[in-house]
Amino acid sequence: MDDHLSGPSQDTIGRVRRVFVESLHLKVGHAELSYERMLEEAASLDSIAVLEFLTAVEREFGISLEPEFLEFDFLRDLAGLAAYIDDRLGRQRE
Amino acid sequence: MLILMAGALLTVDDLLWFLYLYPLRFLSVLTPPALIYPLGNLYQLCARKRRAKAIDRMLGAPSAGIARDRAPRIASKFLANSSFRMLDDLILSWPSCTRRMRCLGIDGIEHLERGKAAGKGVILLTAHFSACRVAKRHLARIGYPILTVRQEISKGEWWGRLGRRILERRRVNFLHAIIGESVYVQDPGCTLKILRTLRTTGLVDIHFDMPSGSGTRPWPFLGVPWRFPTGIFELVRLSGCAVVPMLCLGRSSAFRIVFGPMLDIVSAPGRDEFVSANLPAFVETIEKQIRDYPEEWQQWMTI
Repeated sequence: MDDHLSGPSQDTIGRVRRVFVESLHLKVGHAELSYERMLEEAASLDSIAVLEFLTAVEREFGISLEPEFLEFDFLRDLAGLAAYIDDRLGRQRE
Repeated sequence: MLILMAGALLTVDDLLWFLYLYPLRFLSVLTPPALIYPLGNLYQLCARKRRAKAIDRMLGAPSAGIARDRAPRIASKFLANSSFRMLDDLILSWPSCTRRMRCLGIDGIEHLERGKAAGKGVILLTAHFSACRVAKRHLARIGYPILTVRQEISKGEWWGRLGRRILERRRVNFLHAIIGESVYVQDPGCTLKILRTLRTTGLVDIHFDMPSGSGTRPWPFLGVPWRFPTGIFELVRLSGCAVVPMLCLGRSSAFRIVFGPMLDIVSAPGRDEFVSANLPAFVETIEKQIRDYPEEWQQWMTI
């Protein structure tokens, strides 16, 4: 997973945050949002919410996360997730 | 006296759990099942209040189809099966348990294979039947490992100080050992672990007859008001997995596993619509299992 931790694009991070807000039906502005905290809270209330968020991310970017990345800790790390998505999109273009 | 004084030091439950986790457990590995199971029959003779309560519950569930004259016999068998299950748990806690398990047959394995062949994993739709743990251990042994979705093991309010210090951890480890690979609905990453299993075309067992997780939907069950978990429907909708009913009957010394045909999943655009479209068929499936084998269903005391 460490391979994906460097240099995610701000565009990808922004899109993940937007999907996050939309899929969890959050009524807060992006600026106020602590992604990690909100994801933890949403998951503790309803673990299905995590699944909805994940599938929304997959739809948004047209990828399917590999099974070994289906971990709550991985999803909670916004920069790592965005870097992983960038990497997957890069590989698709090649 | 010690027990009465204690309120704190030692409770009756401490004693029962001690007997169960130590002497009975060791007895279970040294004694042939044919000699152990009569203990289960003894239990039903001394559990008259539970039997009366079970009869009440059976007759209070009109769609269970249990006639008044059959209820006492079914309740007796139900109590015996409850104790057989506890004895089976003891057997399952030993690594050598597979030598003592005898599967009489697996019906409908082609339904399971068809579900797996669809390539998106399979949710096994089950209810709390007495042989479930035994059956899952057997299936894992013959190449069908199953991830069990369950409630977190409760810490237990019943312990006295001694029980909490000596037995509590022992009980949790014991349950972990017999249940096998599992995920707790209280775990925030629960659904991701389930999805990971499904995406590797694995099998996930979900008991559908008890409300669990954060979402439930009211719907009649055996003719009484009930609430069913809705998380299973989101898993099916978002993963596209197959749903295959599984029924586990008997006890470790003679058990049978029955897979039913894959359920036809009705697609619907949203979360609520999807639940509405599919809930009746899921409920009907497990109601039929309970109507066919009421003495093997383990939840009569909670309905």
